Amino acid sequence: MIRHHPDDSLLLAHAGGSLDTGPSLLVESHVETCPRCRAVMQGFERVGGQMLELAQDQPPAAGALDAVLARLDAPVRVPPPPVVRQKPPLPAGYNWPRALRHCQVSSWRLMGPGMRWSRVTVPHDPGANVLLLRIAAGKCLPQHTHTGTELTQVLCGSFDDGRAVFGPGDFDEADTEVLHQPVVQAQGECICLAAVDGRLVFESWIARLASNVVGL
Amino acid sequence: MDATLQRDSTPPGPGRTMRPRAVLKLVATTTSPSSGERDVRLDDWMVAVATRQDREAFAALFAHFAPKLKGWLWKTGSTSEEAEEITQDAFVIVWRKAAQFDPARASVGSWLFTIARNLRIDRRRAIHDTWTALDDAEVQGIVDAGVGQEDALSQRQYDERVRLAMARLNHDQRQLVQLSFYEDMSHSRIAAELKMPLGTVKTRLRAAAACLRKLLEECRP
Repeated sequence: MIRHHPDDSLLLAHAGGSLDTGPSLLVESHVETCPRCRAVMQGFERVGGQMLELAQDQPPAAGALDAVLARLDAPVRVPPPPVVRQKPPLPAGYNWPRALRHCQVSSWRLMGPGMRWSRVTVPHDPGANVLLLRIAAGKCLPQHTHTGTELTQVLCGSFDDGRAVFGPGDFDEADTEVLHQPVVQAQGECICLAAVDGRLVFESWIARLASNVVGL
Repeated sequence: MDATLQRDSTPPGPGRTMRPRAVLKLVATTTSPSSGERDVRLDDWMVAVATRQDREAFAALFAHFAPKLKGWLWKTGSTSEEAEEITQDAFVIVWRKAAQFDPARASVGSWLFTIARNLRIDRRRAIHDTWTALDDAEVQGIVDAGVGQEDALSQRQYDERVRLAMARLNHDQRQLVQLSFYEDMSHSRIAAELKMPLGTVKTRLRAAAACLRKLLEECRP
């Protein structure tokens, strides 16, 4: 049961096509598993349809229809799917979001006891700051705040950051106001997809060192 | 004596109620088709394209939507040249993916909107093979296949109510909603555009989006 959803303004921007790569990937990952947000998005897309109806006409170029008609019978060129390295396995019963299908996911790297991370590279926007965090049962991330917004989509397991419990399919948005220390629940490890705009600011010196190594 | 006059001479009853409706319809069609009728026509054209590869219906859809789509793309950030190219590409996809259009799930306008939106995103990503546009069209066919055809009518009423919902937003909310459909309109750019502090923009965007979502929920069939 999904209890935490992206804010309506994020869904609206995603529906409108005005969201940056990282946030857009996160919202897409959430929407594909969440019927509630899919319905909200479809409503917003209808608004897009209405905006189309209300737009001021701009006549197409002369011969535009003929140009389109001439292309209809052209053989459909199916582009070869981009070559994507196999992603590291997830625990049984969990699948990678479809939104990541064109992304490269690096192998898990250790960033602390029971804490691993992996970089997600988006082919069309290699600068997008998207990563995966894999934290063992009972472990906690160092307490941190953010210089920008951090979006998180839980892929499996669950954590409690003192504000609420986030489980599989849940979405979280934390900004500069939030100082939190996510603790993974005892039942099993937790894997999250995260998009960070700005850097995470860890409180402790060791954590800060780790964050420099990781490049968060 | 024709049938209409005969009906006029009958006392008030079921027969009499027909006349005002007929007049209303005549008035509506002599000015411009009411939105409901127009939508039925658009759906019919789309079905004709999907089931019979009907080029006349396709041309009719193009005549109705191409100027709007080009105008919308231009207004929300594309150059005139790009708007033209995306419009043409979008209609090629409409033709190829017509079978996946489901009137129970989307209006022709909102379907075309998502195709054009994705084409523009793909261009920005320098993906020239229209991955997103095609993928999404496929997903649409799969994801909510459970919605039945019999819901199409209430879906059209839904569209009419979406129009009303937008009209119920106040001026500021409507402006913020519209800006969410503009290309590259980050929160900081909106803040600069509206000369508002960034925090205020975020708060107001959240409120406007929540208000729109609630209005849409009220009108969902």
